[in-house]
Amino acid sequence: MDTFLKEGRWSQALEQIKLWARLNSPWVIHFNSGSCNGCDIEILATLTPYYDVERFGIKLRGSPRHADVLICTGPVTRQARDRLRRIYEQMPDPKFVIAVGSCALSGGVFDGCYNVVGPIDAVIPVDVYVPGCPPRPEAIIDGVVQLLGKLQQGARP
Amino acid sequence: MLASLFALLIFPAGLFVLVNGLAYHWIDRKLVARLQNRVGPRWFQPAADMVKLLANEEVLPTGVDARLFTALPVVALAGALAAMIYLPIAGLPPLYNFPGDLIVAVYLLSLLTLCTGLAGAISKDRFSIIGATRALTQLFSYEAPFLLALLGPAFAAGSWQINEIMAYTSSQWLILTQPVGFVVALIGLMGKLEMAPFDTPEAETEIVAGAMTEYSGRGLALFLLGREVELVGGLTLIAAFYLGGINNPFDYALKTLVLLLGVAGVQTLMTRLRIDQVVGLWWRYGALLALGQWLLLLGQRMGT
Repeated sequence: MDTFLKEGRWSQALEQIKLWARLNSPWVIHFNSGSCNGCDIEILATLTPYYDVERFGIKLRGSPRHADVLICTGPVTRQARDRLRRIYEQMPDPKFVIAVGSCALSGGVFDGCYNVVGPIDAVIPVDVYVPGCPPRPEAIIDGVVQLLGKLQQGARP
Repeated sequence: MLASLFALLIFPAGLFVLVNGLAYHWIDRKLVARLQNRVGPRWFQPAADMVKLLANEEVLPTGVDARLFTALPVVALAGALAAMIYLPIAGLPPLYNFPGDLIVAVYLLSLLTLCTGLAGAISKDRFSIIGATRALTQLFSYEAPFLLALLGPAFAAGSWQINEIMAYTSSQWLILTQPVGFVVALIGLMGKLEMAPFDTPEAETEIVAGAMTEYSGRGLALFLLGREVELVGGLTLIAAFYLGGINNPFDYALKTLVLLLGVAGVQTLMTRLRIDQVVGLWWRYGALLALGQWLLLLGQRMGT
């Protein structure tokens, strides 16, 4: 028991359990910071019974306080910038961000507009990028899987 | 001393009910998923959710009373667990009993909703306040019919003590003589647990997450665990009163799972009711039907 505690195996096992729980229960929240709604419709399609993401433990939550993963669509407009930052800061640690769609990656066709700040990663840190205009639901699920893969390799806490 | 510690931490009011609650929560979600033609969550899903929430950061919003904010989830879970001491969990006779423990158990089960309402009311967030108002409104609408429905068996048995009522109901299935009370009690339990169609207090498409909006991590996990414990307690109570008593673990599993199947079916069939429809349903139909059956029992008792 003494060596058990000394080598920190106990805390290691606890970290393993925490990691396992995080990998199996990514609760998401969806925020549109100025997209044309195409990506949002694809995200909603991802949550329908046809794709049934509940079998991976993915659940859409209404409150940012309950969510672990922020799924963002669209370029960030000047008006949405503060809201996006506020929602990101309202989420409890550890939190992750997935940017969905071409506009979220680079600003897309809206890049350079007078009212557009830029892509999502100009405002908050982004973990996974899902390209497409709009990306298919399979691509969005793959984005979440890639995020979980990164988590498993210990890229972030 | 050791025995009561065991009772509080392991069985019946501890680890056993928590694990049982997680399992029943999974069965409920899986049944709803299958009824919607989906695959549904994996068997460890509720456990993974709970561990993740407990490991997450708990955000303390500005402007709330920190002590009350952190204490409320604990009180909610403790209240639900304390009720388990008086219930025949897993088909074994209740650990403690005294005349009138039915009333104590029912009010301990209501503590969770009261705590939810308070938790929403102390937050500055407008969604929390709307959710709290709705939760308390719903409490006042389902509580009276639910209690009336549970008093039917108590009245028939001539006792307010859970194990005496159980001794009476073991010889006969009260669902046959008091079908209205059974339906009202089961639907009342769904209202208590804020399941669809009574999930108005946490309607995520309208008011984000209701009273739970500001809760994250530990607080949310404890509230959700409290609800799962209540699911077990409520199903046990209804099975013991209306489905011919529960006298052994096998009986317990069978009868509560049958009830759970019914609950999942109603959840799938119905869409969310508005808060005024919930109040109308309970006071216009639920309370009157339960009261009518009660008067009928009274008349029968007077006649013989």
